[in-house]
Amino acid sequence: MSKLLTRFLKSPWVIIGVTLIVTVMFFFVMKDNSRMETNLDKYMPESNPAFIYSDKAEAIFGIKDGIIVAVENQDGIFNAETLDTLKQLTKALQKMKQINKDDVTSLYTADNIVGTDDGLDVKRFYKRVPKSKEKLDALRKNVLSNEMVYGRMVSKNEKVAIIIAEIGKDVFSQKFYYEILNLTKKYQTDKIKIHVAGRPIVEGEMALLGPKDMKKMVPIVILVIAVVLFLILRSFKSTLLTLGVVFFSTIWAFGLMALLKIPIYAVSTMIPVMLIAIGVAYSVHLYNHLQLFINENPEVTKKEAVVDMIKAMWSPVMMAAVTTAVGFISLLTSQVYPIKYFGLFTAFGVAVAWILSVTFIPAGIMVFGLPKRREIKDKNDENSFLYKIAAKVLKRKSLTIIITSVIVVLSVIGMQKIWINSSFLDKFEKDSDIVMTDKFINENFGGTTMLNLILDAGENPDAFKNPKLLSLTDEMQKKVVKDLKVVGNSFSLADFIDRMNKVMNADKEAFNKIPNSKDMIAQYLLLYEMSGDPENLNKVVNYDYTKLNVTFQLKSDNSKAINSALDILKTYKDDFKKYGVTMNYAGSGYKGLVFTDLILEGQVMSLILSLFIVIILLALMFKSFKAGLLGSVPIVITALISFGVMGFLNIPLNTTTALLSSIAIGIGIDYAVHFIEQYKNFAKETNRNMLLTAKKTMANSGRAIIYNAVVVIAGFLVLLFSVFPPNRELGALVSLNMFTSFAGTLTILLVLLSITKMYSKKNKK
Amino acid sequence: MKSLKITTVLIILTMIGGFNVSAQKLTGKQIIEKVYNRPTGDDQSSNLTMTLINSQGKQRIRKLTQYLNDNGTVEKKIMFFTAPADVKGTSFMNWSYSNGKPDDQWIYLPALKKIKRISSDSKGDYFMGSDFTYDDLGDRHPDQDTHKLLREETVNGVKCYVVQSIPKDKDYMYSKTITWINKATFVGVKKEFYDEDGDLLKIMHVNSSKNISGIIVVTKITMQNKQKNHKTIMSLSNVKINSGIPDSKFTERMMMRGI
Repeated sequence: MSKLLTRFLKSPWVIIGVTLIVTVMFFFVMKDNSRMETNLDKYMPESNPAFIYSDKAEAIFGIKDGIIVAVENQDGIFNAETLDTLKQLTKALQKMKQINKDDVTSLYTADNIVGTDDGLDVKRFYKRVPKSKEKLDALRKNVLSNEMVYGRMVSKNEKVAIIIAEIGKDVFSQKFYYEILNLTKKYQTDKIKIHVAGRPIVEGEMALLGPKDMKKMVPIVILVIAVVLFLILRSFKSTLLTLGVVFFSTIWAFGLMALLKIPIYAVSTMIPVMLIAIGVAYSVHLYNHLQLFINENPEVTKKEAVVDMIKAMWSPVMMAAVTTAVGFISLLTSQVYPIKYFGLFTAFGVAVAWILSVTFIPAGIMVFGLPKRREIKDKNDENSFLYKIAAKVLKRKSLTIIITSVIVVLSVIGMQKIWINSSFLDKFEKDSDIVMTDKFINENFGGTTMLNLILDAGENPDAFKNPKLLSLTDEMQKKVVKDLKVVGNSFSLADFIDRMNKVMNADKEAFNKIPNSKDMIAQYLLLYEMSGDPENLNKVVNYDYTKLNVTFQLKSDNSKAINSALDILKTYKDDFKKYGVTMNYAGSGYKGLVFTDLILEGQVMSLILSLFIVIILLALMFKSFKAGLLGSVPIVITALISFGVMGFLNIPLNTTTALLSSIAIGIGIDYAVHFIEQYKNFAKETNRNMLLTAKKTMANSGRAIIYNAVVVIAGFLVLLFSVFPPNRELGALVSLNMFTSFAGTLTILLVLLSITKMYSKKNKK
Repeated sequence: MKSLKITTVLIILTMIGGFNVSAQKLTGKQIIEKVYNRPTGDDQSSNLTMTLINSQGKQRIRKLTQYLNDNGTVEKKIMFFTAPADVKGTSFMNWSYSNGKPDDQWIYLPALKKIKRISSDSKGDYFMGSDFTYDDLGDRHPDQDTHKLLREETVNGVKCYVVQSIPKDKDYMYSKTITWINKATFVGVKKEFYDEDGDLLKIMHVNSSKNISGIIVVTKITMQNKQKNHKTIMSLSNVKINSGIPDSKFTERMMMRGI
């Protein structure tokens, strides 16, 4: 292998030319064919039973996410001006081509079904805007006495009215959002304020804000990395070649994705993050070796230096690359396609980074010349700082072990506190418009997050005309709303029947309940179909009355809130089972919850799997099972501390933060391989002088590891200044993982190598 | 009372003879008036089966027996549900006035044992959860729209006038309708309804009609909502025309007593 690589050195221009041509080709493929996937549904595995059921239920009941437009007037809404705004805005939304007319509801579109002594009155609350005081008072009285509207469409303090516009899954776009904002702006006056919220807005904003912020931050990250690289390598050429490896591997990975027509998902933005950390590492190791070699042998030619570099480094770099790539490929076990692709293309990128490190960089050095020889103050002698560190670490073995154990124990404790959060809102700044609006609407209404419970009676037609079943549903709804502050409202067929029963009994409150005759319920339903809008019924019950859609409105979309509601609902499982009714869930909030669980499960599985693979691969490479086990130490420590810190800092796991533990695989392996390989070589070189071995390893491999960590940490700390909280978390956690990988390798791995007496005796063979 | 006999004779003549009613070309308005004034008899009784089919192909079937009586000033209608079993005996009565006074409506729910008056401010309400509005089923007076004869064409071998009608009231639920009318019988063949935004909303097809006692009665009709992918089929059987249904049939007492 090293022979082949050395032969390449004869025609460095060819290598550089080929690299550039392939890169340009991939760049154009990427430019022409790349496509962002913004439809979150496409992220979910279609074959998962929870999603299949949810999709089916969404189709039956027309469950869609709604944009909420709130019209606020501090003087109250029951005046001609506000009611007119409400009417005009409702009509304007109905006319938007992205919105179905029937999917817009407000006080203006709602029917008021009222009971009178001798009959039933079905009227719109208003059609022409009422002007006189009597008419306004009458409208107000109607609203206040109708629970289907009061507290749902009009706030209880009478100062806010909402319009809900439900939209299809792939409707949201930046343009559409601006259209809505512009539209609502037109209706703002001194008195009337208009707010826009709802899950599509939050989802859409998040999909836009994350990448937008990244676009701004990434050049700064790269700049910082370049500067720090330059400070460390002290060579413009070397810095450029190193960045070349990182860029090219990223372009190749995305180019291949585009070539295979695989869209870019949100998690795909993590691919460059991994490749920066890993790609920089390979080059830094090479350059570090090169630099030390020229320092020790000032008279060598360019070619001799490069050949030495290849000879010494090709094997550890390859071992690191292969293990890392296999580690990422283990993500294929995930059920979630974006994660599979993330694993696959990161692995491809790692392979490219490796190949370029051992071809493109040597070729570059051949063409542009060696980096300048420079005096390293910190020479490899007994006064060297790194030598001292190695000596200190080995002197205080038990302290290192105790500290590591304490950190591990603490991390395990911290991990207990970790929680999964599929919330979108929690990703925004607490004082951002989007969070404030959401809070405002949650304070005035039931809640902006919907949880759909689907009660399913199988093939038992008319099951949900059974009064006992409806009463049970009614009871369950009331309990959830009463017990949980976070649940503001609930809605189901039971509410319709309650209302009809009351209305048909001259509006007497005593009849605001489910009647106990099945025929009565059937007849109320028929009557509602005849007098109200049958579409309203289709949203709560299916055609043959075998499935019921019970909606809960939550004031938070975070997973703790959704789970607290699910916990109460699940206590009714047995009660419903008696009637042959099963409980299922639907809607975007629930799917997000399941989805995050799936990602996490996949991530943990793949971490464990890759740990085993790494141990086996390292054991094979070093021909020692012990070495395999020791090599896994930096990975385990990095992963544990990462999760532990998240637990203590209350950073929840979500799609991005969970994936970050992959850095443990990518970087942990890299450090371990280089460190153990050099330790092994120096042990031989120094004739089993283990202290000197440790010192030399620290001064060589250790230096490269520190350099790499410093470069990447410096770069990613820039993200702490991001305006988008998830990107800040990303920056902090990448930095943390880099730090623990490096600290773990240089301390506990060294101590363990020493304690286990690795390579301290001559091998049997 | 419409001059029943004369028109009937005329219709039969046109059907047999197959010649055009007149040499001069009819205007859109005249065509629609002829449709509106086509005799339907003074009374009618029939069994109505209403099949609602949703976008998933699921069906709801409702059976009713209905009686209708038109004395020229009031059109009275009473309907009794016979199926499904849980709504059997539910009855509905509607009095519609030719002087423009809002309809009177009553409902009787046997489980509640009470008659309730229903007042509804919208004529655009869908009829019993079907895809037909009361307007689609009944008589929208020709004066409420501006009519225009677009063309003549043959649909399924039937020569038709194609007339476009645009409502004078801009707030009406349809922005326009286009009706295909059998040139020979002035019975509608097909009708398209366009929503407020000008998009096709519904298509109605007349599937079969019967000549009963000299009057052409549409016996099967399908309305399809193109936007919601929902469909309603109404079919009539056991149709009797002018059998002399007394006024006393259309009372609250009859509603409670049943058929």
